[in-house]
Amino acid sequence: MYWLFYTPQWFNGWDIAFDLVGLLVTFLIAAYSWRIYGLNRENKFKYLSLAFLLVSLSLLVKAFSSSVLYYGGVREVIVTALGPAVGPELRFSEILYRSAFFAQMVTTLGAWLLIFFISQKSRARLNKLYEVSQIGLFVYLIVLISVVANFQYVVFYLTSVVLLALIVLNYYKNYLNTDGNSNAWRVLTSFMLIFFGNILFIFVSLWDTLYVFGEVFTLGGYLLLLWTYHSIVSR
Amino acid sequence: MATRRSRLELIYDILLSIQNKGGRIKPTHLMYKSNLSHKLLNSYLEELMQRELVQIQEEFSRKKLKSTKTVVLTDKGIGFLAEYRRMRDFTNAFGL
Repeated sequence: MYWLFYTPQWFNGWDIAFDLVGLLVTFLIAAYSWRIYGLNRENKFKYLSLAFLLVSLSLLVKAFSSSVLYYGGVREVIVTALGPAVGPELRFSEILYRSAFFAQMVTTLGAWLLIFFISQKSRARLNKLYEVSQIGLFVYLIVLISVVANFQYVVFYLTSVVLLALIVLNYYKNYLNTDGNSNAWRVLTSFMLIFFGNILFIFVSLWDTLYVFGEVFTLGGYLLLLWTYHSIVSR
Repeated sequence: MATRRSRLELIYDILLSIQNKGGRIKPTHLMYKSNLSHKLLNSYLEELMQRELVQIQEEFSRKKLKSTKTVVLTDKGIGFLAEYRRMRDFTNAFGL
């Protein structure tokens, strides 16, 4: 079996439950954004819906690959189900796990990039930071391509952290421009929590318990998003 | 400088003007409250009636001894206002 990084064994299963909560929350937001798109036909709502759907998909893939890694029973079920179609050669080789991790990474980074672009627009305030954030993104991507071969999973979380930092910056600007709107504050804080969670994931190889803290921070972020969604919809 | 109102914003402003007047308003008052020309207001009112968001009622005025038109907000119109507020909250929250 291929492990991206090792996590505390007692936490196995909890992270899947956390991911499923995140999946539900992001799916609800995607569905609501799509509903608004149906009303006003503005593309930004369609893209936000797509972005949150990508987050849902990445969490689904993560929950699936984690359950295959943690539980032998799940592997057995998949082998039984796919066996007749694929044949007796079906094995959980490294390439299968790598494909799942790749799908998870592509959808997550794609979602963060999309959210970053959607939240990016010219504002009256912090214009210099707006310019710097764009330049910073491109410089980072060039550096990333240069060093990508020297890193493993860390590259994914580093990229995620950079994108999330830019999203947080955009939502901070949005918070200022909405004159302290409570929902804008919640969205800002939720992405900040997901950002901190991803920072912790970078250092998991040093101390595996950081994975637990990272997951808790991320869950906190998704729960705050759920609070935001609830306060908007139940109004 | 104020930006140009979108179609949806205009509809919201019209319906809000009616709601602020207790759910019924005279067309002339509505024209001033929603800051629209007579021609534009009429075209919007026609659309709003087709969508059943407002109704036009004719009432007999004893004072003027003639019937006058009143624009009345329907339940569907009230629902639209609530939906629009939620949409605006969502837009503000995610900086769209």
